[in-house]
Amino acid sequence: MFFLHNLERRVTLHPSYFGRNMHELVTTKLVKDVEGTCAGDYYIIAIMDTFDVSEGRILPGSGLAEFTVGYRAVVWRPFKGEVIDAITQTVNPHGFFAQAGPLRLFVSSHLMPDEIQYDASATPAQFTNNADIVIEQGTHVRVKIIGLRTEVGEMWAIGSINGDFLGCLQG
Amino acid sequence: MASAPFQFAGDSESEDDNFNPAPADLSDEEDAEDQDDDSAGKKHRRGSSPAADNDPDEDDGDGDEPVRTSKKRAREDDDEEENAADEDDEGAEGDGDEDEEELEEDDDEEEEDEDEEDEDVQHRHRRKRRKDHRAAFFDIEAEVEDEDEGEDDERDGEEIEDFIENAHPDDLAEPLHDDTRHRELDRRREIEASMDAEKQAEILKERYGKRAHARGYNDMAVVPKRLLLPSVDDPGIWAVRCKEGKERDVIFSIMRRVEERAGTKDELAITAAFERGGPNSVMKGYIYVEARRQNDVLLALDGVLDVYPRSKMILVEIKDMPDLLRVTKTPTLEPGAWVRLKRPAKHAGDLAQVLDVTENGLEARVRFIPRLDYGDKSDSFSMGASPAQRRRPGMPGPRPPQRLFSEIEARKKNPRFLSGNPQTNTWTFMGEEFENGFQVKDIKIQHLEVKDVNPTLEEVTKFASGSEDGTENLDLKALAASLKDSNNSVAYVAGDVIEVYEGEQRGVVGRAVNVQGDIVTLKVTEGDLAGQTIEVPNKGLRKRFRTGDHVKVIGGSRFRDEVGMVVKIVDDRVTLLTDQTNTEITVFSKDLREASDIGGQGSLGQYSLLDLVQLDPTTVGCIVKVDRESMVVLDQNGDTKQVMPSQIANKLPKRKLAVAADRNGSEIRVDDVVREYGGQQRQGKIIHIHRSFVFLHSNATTENAGVFVTRAGNVTTIAAKGGRTTSNAGPDLSTMNPALKRMGPNGPAGPMQPPKSFGRDRALGQTVSIRKGGYKGLMGIVKDTTDTHARVELHGKNKIVTVLKVDLVFKDKITGKTIDIYNRGGRGGGMGGPGYPGGGDRTGSRTPMGAGSGERTPAWGSKTAARTPAWGRAEGSGSRTPAWGDGSRTVNPYDGSRTAYGDGNRTAYGGATSYGGSRTPAWSSSAKTPAHDGFGHGSKTPAWGVGASSGPSSTDPWGSKTPAYGGISAPTPGASGPDGWGYTPGPSGSSSSHAPYDAPTPGAALSAPTPGAALSAPTPGALSAPTPAAISAPTPGAWQGGWGADAAPTPAVGAPTPAASGGYYGAPTPAAFAAETPAASGDIRYADDD
Repeated sequence: MFFLHNLERRVTLHPSYFGRNMHELVTTKLVKDVEGTCAGDYYIIAIMDTFDVSEGRILPGSGLAEFTVGYRAVVWRPFKGEVIDAITQTVNPHGFFAQAGPLRLFVSSHLMPDEIQYDASATPAQFTNNADIVIEQGTHVRVKIIGLRTEVGEMWAIGSINGDFLGCLQG
Repeated sequence: MASAPFQFAGDSESEDDNFNPAPADLSDEEDAEDQDDDSAGKKHRRGSSPAADNDPDEDDGDGDEPVRTSKKRAREDDDEEENAADEDDEGAEGDGDEDEEELEEDDDEEEEDEDEEDEDVQHRHRRKRRKDHRAAFFDIEAEVEDEDEGEDDERDGEEIEDFIENAHPDDLAEPLHDDTRHRELDRRREIEASMDAEKQAEILKERYGKRAHARGYNDMAVVPKRLLLPSVDDPGIWAVRCKEGKERDVIFSIMRRVEERAGTKDELAITAAFERGGPNSVMKGYIYVEARRQNDVLLALDGVLDVYPRSKMILVEIKDMPDLLRVTKTPTLEPGAWVRLKRPAKHAGDLAQVLDVTENGLEARVRFIPRLDYGDKSDSFSMGASPAQRRRPGMPGPRPPQRLFSEIEARKKNPRFLSGNPQTNTWTFMGEEFENGFQVKDIKIQHLEVKDVNPTLEEVTKFASGSEDGTENLDLKALAASLKDSNNSVAYVAGDVIEVYEGEQRGVVGRAVNVQGDIVTLKVTEGDLAGQTIEVPNKGLRKRFRTGDHVKVIGGSRFRDEVGMVVKIVDDRVTLLTDQTNTEITVFSKDLREASDIGGQGSLGQYSLLDLVQLDPTTVGCIVKVDRESMVVLDQNGDTKQVMPSQIANKLPKRKLAVAADRNGSEIRVDDVVREYGGQQRQGKIIHIHRSFVFLHSNATTENAGVFVTRAGNVTTIAAKGGRTTSNAGPDLSTMNPALKRMGPNGPAGPMQPPKSFGRDRALGQTVSIRKGGYKGLMGIVKDTTDTHARVELHGKNKIVTVLKVDLVFKDKITGKTIDIYNRGGRGGGMGGPGYPGGGDRTGSRTPMGAGSGERTPAWGSKTAARTPAWGRAEGSGSRTPAWGDGSRTVNPYDGSRTAYGDGNRTAYGGATSYGGSRTPAWSSSAKTPAHDGFGHGSKTPAWGVGASSGPSSTDPWGSKTPAYGGISAPTPGASGPDGWGYTPGPSGSSSSHAPYDAPTPGAALSAPTPGAALSAPTPGALSAPTPAAISAPTPGAWQGGWGADAAPTPAVGAPTPAASGGYYGAPTPAAFAAETPAASGDIRYADDD
């Protein structure tokens, strides 16, 4: 789910950049540092704007200036139970990996309807019910997140397509 | 069993009765059905017999139900016993009892009032009383009571006192008797008052003595058991030999006999008989008979089958009696249960499944996986159960591995011994039976390990997969049961989510808040009880997980320490997807717990997953799996091997700066995404670069944790890591402003590594003055030099001192004026002087080096060459020609070439330019080409003099001197200056001149290959050839940038930094500066690349 989130971050700036356009530089640095990263349990997709760039404070020892910047960002946080669309990346006998934006998810074969079976003989390998549903690399799937794991700078989910309206989107 | 337990039950019942005070009175209301004192006495005796002692245990163990039923039967028993009761002992017994009872008399005073029976009736009533309070515990009480009441009514007249006396609550409830009760009470008090004290005491004693006896039982839970222990007054117990396994039968026949002869004149005089047989019992082969005399035992057992009273009969010592009845719960073997084999030795420890238990409970038919070698040479060996085998239990040597029986193999190796039925797949081979590949065998139960079997899922799976159709036929119930035996190994910890799956609380789910011993305190989280805290025994619990939970494997499974997410739960089995390897594993929920930590596994000591380690001097490998004690390493040849931490020589630190060239010669670094060229075209992110090998990681495969290895030359870049492409985005604000770098105190001198000179150090023989140190001010002649130091022979003293070269000021021998020896070329000016005295020197001498490196950058080479040939040539020729022409010095060619490069580089990189400029002239000066001169001159003076002003001034000379140059610089006069600056940022990426500073620059790394060759080439011809290429090579990038800058004075590009640089440098032409911005150069460069 996407949110507009007010965040705050401390940005440091090398003293050699101190000068007129320091605030711009701070913003630039903020954008560079933050956009597209995973902050624990959500991703920061984009920074809308910054406000309230504090006065710089020189850090003793390094001489870097530290600014506290408040900013507003679009963040995306996947939830357990949320249904999202993803693109299948790889398929193996245990299930398939899919990518939903920055989030990688795995759908285990246990979490598919029974009739969907792995078919190794197909090229590329696929999960299929021998009818309308074919999940192979590149297939768009609708997945329900059943578990989330967050690591530093990474999130990782397992999903299920066992349910109504879940599974292959073309099918 | 037989009568013994019944008896105890009877006793226990009497204890139970005592919990209820009423029964004592109840008994009074009935006329004693002629129970004589014997029975009562007997009861007391029995109360103090070992049986009684054991009762509490038994009761505890059995719970309510069994007690109750046994009581019913006990009642019947009583009659028999009474008949058999021994009269002789009675008197003595009674006395003994009373003495005991006196002690407790005090306790009972509160009951005084109720009790009014006189001593005469007391004994008579005892029997009845027992019966009645027993009845209080019976389900059948209601019926019985009706009866009794009927009786009561009849007896009302004579026994009204007793009846009223009855304090039974049921009776109290009857309004009918209310009135009589009061009267009765009054009367009793009257009588009591009239009695004389002594007599009254006696009555009380008598009365409460009996009751105290009962009280003793009552308190038994607390009261010392020793009071209940058998004494010499109790009957003795004899152990009688019998046939092993027939114990129970013997007891049953005794019981029958007792029944048959009850009431006849030759009734059995034994009081009890029991057995404690069983396959694992030490008391097997005996029955135990309780009787007053040994002869009674003999008589009772006379003619009973399978028992040998005539052989030695052992009288059990009194102190051992209680032990006879100690209850140990014996595990029962059910078909389907799992056990471990102790024998045959070959199979010791193997898991087996019980198929059947023989009737006598001594043997079990089990099936297990055979360990056959089908050996033809040693029959005894292959036949694990052969006597020979059994005789040496140690079983030295290796045993064959567990494998299902193969008929084919058997037929091949030893067809003689094979017989069987292929239809049912049952075979006999060498005297052993096999069914469906499993060996089936009757094994004595004592040779089985029944407790703590703890079968692992792997072991069990072997059995499951053994079925012919390959379907899984795991009997999970049996498995669970076996596991439950070892439930103690399950450790619940506060915080675990637990489900109760057995017992009253079944279905309750909660979070453990406290665990003490076997009791788990749960805070219920779901259902009606939510929020409550309950305590449940460990036994009926299991951990509960949900799909998606992040769990860690603990406990005995071989997957221990794996961490993953639950994808499936079936009963006790949980399937999870491991974090590390993305594989699925299945474990029991008892072996799991919620993982609070991330990763968990993944490191062993100092080694963690995906680390690069040195295995031996020539082999490195990437760790692709970490187990508890070992790890799996993928080496550079693509082989995986399992290694122990001790086998690893050391861990190679991740070299972030390592660079390699891919198939197309473009640089690749760690974290770049590359694709294999040819082969499987696997794609992956570089995690390590080691010499010519790259280790790649891919999410597409789980094999080797997605790691594979290939040669650097076998991959092509797909996307460079963000850093390089996004350099456009702006300056790196967390490090020093690149624009400022040159300005730093050691900026110019620093970044430009002082070039090394070839040949003789020109300082040699020079007259110098020492600027620093103890010899400050003294003059001398340089006798010898190293890179940094010079040995100076002092004029003043006859002494040679060693001084830092930097601390020397070179003087003209004759005039004494300070000179720059490296720039001798006719210009006496204090070139080196101003900004960088030392630097000047160094530069002069070292130029070549710088140049060399510059030229080497491959990236440059190719591109530049292509792009700015004109310039390169022009420049090269310009600078070089003279040098060549001169041909006077061997060094010259190099210099020439170097100069050229240097120029190239420097031009590109501003700073370099000045160096190059300064040097070139110096060298060329000897050659004396005017062009040169001018060149050098122009560039040198200004450049060195003042960084800021260098731009314009240098531009001029260049422009004027070399036509080609001029042409170039012409469009934007200011630009050339800027060029220098402009490149500064770039250098880190590409330029050689900066290589020394910016370690990462490929230039540095790559410097080895080509340039050296080019430079070292002695033949002028050769040199001349390479030079242009070289020149063109290095410069291009730089120039490109320069050009780009020149051509497109895009202010936009410059925008980010320009202002800054403008500010800093105070350059007159901000536009020019703008051009320099790394962005500009970067853009161009990349554009070119494409």
